[in-house]
Amino acid sequence: MPAVEALLPRFRAAHTQVLGVSVDSVHCHANWGKDLGGISFPLLADFNPKGALAQSLGLYLEKAGITDRATVIIDSGGIVRHASSVTPSGQRDIGALAALCEEIDKASTGPCEDFAPPPGVPEGATLYIKSRCGFSRATMLAMDNLHIAGKVPVRNVTEDPSAMETLRRIAGKETAPCLIVGETPMHESKDIIRRLVDATAPL
Amino acid sequence: MIAVGDKAPDFSLPDHLGRTVTLAQFAGRRHVMLLFYPLDWTPT
Repeated sequence: MPAVEALLPRFRAAHTQVLGVSVDSVHCHANWGKDLGGISFPLLADFNPKGALAQSLGLYLEKAGITDRATVIIDSGGIVRHASSVTPSGQRDIGALAALCEEIDKASTGPCEDFAPPPGVPEGATLYIKSRCGFSRATMLAMDNLHIAGKVPVRNVTEDPSAMETLRRIAGKETAPCLIVGETPMHESKDIIRRLVDATAPL
Repeated sequence: MIAVGDKAPDFSLPDHLGRTVTLAQFAGRRHVMLLFYPLDWTPT
């Protein structure tokens, strides 16, 4: 996947949205993405019911309970333009796939939308988190995956009493995670992640 | 395996950032490349 991440500008220029898919859960995906140094395109969890999307495309390996290592390219009109497998133990040539997407885009007559540059992380944002908190952890994983860890200051209110004091003053309560932009607090981890995604990697 | 020229079935799945992603949301906007892989922590 890092090879795909590196070539995202080419896929984007070819009006192509890349989506990774496996039977792993969203939590598994988020942690793997972090291990890879961040993944800013969606990794889809074909998890419940297990392998449903793979099955609908004939790519589920029933006995092993996994999906094949396969690539399907669908044009903007919803028609399959490429389908191939390198088998589970094989390895894809991402450069060749980028060239293929460029060809498909060139030959396509349907409408296509350019990828607009994202607005970027809001100025003056600070993230307040707690230790041993799943919601704080999910928010931090999203920051890693979006390549913005280190760009948004993070303060841990469990370890830093002055951070807790600031959180209490601005948000009026001690609930974390909390993203504060200027003097405006945002509390739910789902909302915070959505805000960060929209700012850096909108679909 | 689905064949070239077939209409792709729609799907709706959650991603690693908590979004719900559908094929329909890209219809008429973008091509989509689905990269299926056996498991996380395996190569590309």
